[in-house]
Amino acid sequence: MAMRWRFYPRSVVVEISLHPTPFHPLALLAAWEDALIARTDTAPAATACFVGRVRGHDGNGEPLVALELEHYPGMTETQIEQLAQQALQHHQALAVRVAHRVGRAALGEALVLVAVAADRRGPAQRACTELLEALKHHAPFWKKEWRADGSTQWVQGNTPL
Amino acid sequence: MLRVRLFGELRERAGWGEQQVSHAYALTPSQLWQTIAAELGATPDLPARIRVAVNQQFSDANVALCNGDEVAFLPPISGG
Repeated sequence: MAMRWRFYPRSVVVEISLHPTPFHPLALLAAWEDALIARTDTAPAATACFVGRVRGHDGNGEPLVALELEHYPGMTETQIEQLAQQALQHHQALAVRVAHRVGRAALGEALVLVAVAADRRGPAQRACTELLEALKHHAPFWKKEWRADGSTQWVQGNTPL
Repeated sequence: MLRVRLFGELRERAGWGEQQVSHAYALTPSQLWQTIAAELGATPDLPARIRVAVNQQFSDANVALCNGDEVAFLPPISGG
């Protein structure tokens, strides 16, 4: 059963999208799960997901008005694909869905969706956590914080877990 | 020729995101960085926090470059 993912076509095993405009993470999640069900006539036994949104303050508590995400077209998608495949194989999970915002995003907008389907909660949750952390450190995205006075600052690294 | 790309804060500091550079001008990303660092007023040694990608894959900074390669200097990543 652990190798059931082989029955999914590659495009369903790992689905990645970058969004220059706002996206609805739960709508993407529903569409992805529908696609998985259509292939196997049953929903995956376990699905873990994470949704990250733009917070209203920086690491020092200063208020923000927006967050801008720069990426490296081509390399970003390739890196996400490689990291997702590694997480799938490492945890013998079934399928992965990643969506990521690019461009300028307002407070509260979704920045990232990571979802992992597996046969059990353990592999689903572990693969989801591992993939999210891998994305944060190895998928080329850069965040720029915007403040109300028009000043900006590039984010150096990631927020603590 | 090499296609050189900068992103994030490096792109803003340099005032450009992409340039074509003669291959004879730099044989490794480290050597290429020395000219960019001079432009930025930065140390000629590539800082550990700056990662290198060659042809859109992470790479060692001392790898030999080939004519036509795309070389990118990546400031600290902050995705997710």
